[in-house]
Amino acid sequence: MPADSYAAAIPVGDLSGTRRQVQGSTQNPTVRGSVAAQSNRIDDTTLIREAQQGNRAAFEVLVRHYDRSVLRLAYHLTGSETDAQDIYQEAFLKAYKNLGSFRFECSFYTWIYRIVTNLCLDHLRKRNVRKEDAPVAVDRSGEEYSLIDQVADGRADANPERDLMRRELGGKISAALERLTPRERMVFELKHYHGLRLRTVGEMLNTTEETAKNTLFRATQKLRSALAEMR
Amino acid sequence: MKCDWVRQNILFYVYNELEDDARYEVEQHLTRCPECATELKATRKFHATLSQMTVTEPTPNLVASSRMRLQEALETASQGGFWQRVIFEPGTWLRQIRMSPALAAVIFIVGFGGGIGATYNFLATPPGITGVVSLGQPSNSAIPVEASAITGIRSITQEPGSSQVSIKYDTVLTQEAQGSLNDQKIQQLLLFAARNNYNSGVRMDSVDLLTQAPNETHVREALMYALQNDSNPGVRLKALDGLSGFVKQDPRVRDAVLQSLIGDANAGVRMQALRLVEPMKADSGVRSVLTKLADTDQNVSIRSQARTMVRQMPEMD
Repeated sequence: MPADSYAAAIPVGDLSGTRRQVQGSTQNPTVRGSVAAQSNRIDDTTLIREAQQGNRAAFEVLVRHYDRSVLRLAYHLTGSETDAQDIYQEAFLKAYKNLGSFRFECSFYTWIYRIVTNLCLDHLRKRNVRKEDAPVAVDRSGEEYSLIDQVADGRADANPERDLMRRELGGKISAALERLTPRERMVFELKHYHGLRLRTVGEMLNTTEETAKNTLFRATQKLRSALAEMR
Repeated sequence: MKCDWVRQNILFYVYNELEDDARYEVEQHLTRCPECATELKATRKFHATLSQMTVTEPTPNLVASSRMRLQEALETASQGGFWQRVIFEPGTWLRQIRMSPALAAVIFIVGFGGGIGATYNFLATPPGITGVVSLGQPSNSAIPVEASAITGIRSITQEPGSSQVSIKYDTVLTQEAQGSLNDQKIQQLLLFAARNNYNSGVRMDSVDLLTQAPNETHVREALMYALQNDSNPGVRLKALDGLSGFVKQDPRVRDAVLQSLIGDANAGVRMQALRLVEPMKADSGVRSVLTKLADTDQNVSIRSQARTMVRQMPEMD
């Protein structure tokens, strides 16, 4: 198994290794990973140049530096493994085909994330259209709940009541998030769930930090009122 | 009035996006203003609520299947017109690749052939198809070349009096070898991988497999090479494991391990090396190294362990 040299740049939570809570205000993934990130940036430059000359093995190593983060983002945003995988595939293929035009004007991280966020935005826009078709299931109490809802828990569910409560909260959060525009959702996702700085978020969405700030503000206002309504 | 400004910034305060001076202002205000303090509490609660929708790690299965799917797709993907780049962006391309004079001739031919009046026929490719080159083969068939497979151009010749160009080029061919650990070919590949691969995981795997057969002299050499030169401490530890059985009988292995003991940057590796030489502490060479280590090693436990070993050694003439 190839070692993942871009190791754990994002903090792991207290619970089992498969789940973590991201507190946007206190944990900044990019700060903690900065030493590892420093050496990876040097590696990246070499790898990129090699890949630009057609070295596919170099491209594959480069992909490994980022692919878990990309999957994590795509999966959390879409709630679907299939969709996440599709976004992953499209993003890295696009990167491969366009690597020739990468001129080191930004980091590869920003460049690949820009591709990924745009694909995510497309996905969100398409989903807004398809909302009526969202898959639903019926739980023990006969209530319908959307399968897109996720308050994910790796452990086997021994407590149906807690499960229901968690699902309800998850359902509320998902429903609230659905009220955001794709851009608002994207900014909120990147800031709150992945701890990126708003300046970086701006770069990835091809806009300014100020705009990203305003978008975040609007998004949180909407979310707060949505959650208040649901209580 | 100040409250308005603070209220607008409480969100960014919670998300740690404020500049130091703004953050200070907000904090100062919050100590004096109960309404804004309430707002802060509400914002924090909101933040905590939303955080309950945890971000899960993708399952190993998802990661593996995504990687495999991508690999398959990459095999057929082209990297956007190698020859297009030659023709349309020679400046950038030249800067990126160290050019051979032969290649320069190709650009010249392609770029200016028309102007000079001669027509160099790249095998009558319909417009829109890139990368088709006439090979110097008797059949003269057009074989599409995968851009990423080309490693270099050997020669370019033009048949006098004709429009045929012949280009010889080298390609990379990915192959697979299967066999048991005892196969010579497998061993050769493992030895190569242990030294040459970018990916420390591949080096680790190959060193691991090599440790299962260290009887071969060159395998032992490869393990010693890895011990002394690999940049990854995990790989070096693996190499130590493989060499452990030979420290006593092979003086070269013993010297390599001693060298690691003195020189390795990683304390874990040095500690393991120390354990390996323990049974030989009676040897005078080992003893002098241990004595030096007891004084000079950076790591406290290593120093103390070495000191203990020296004390336990019988006096030698």
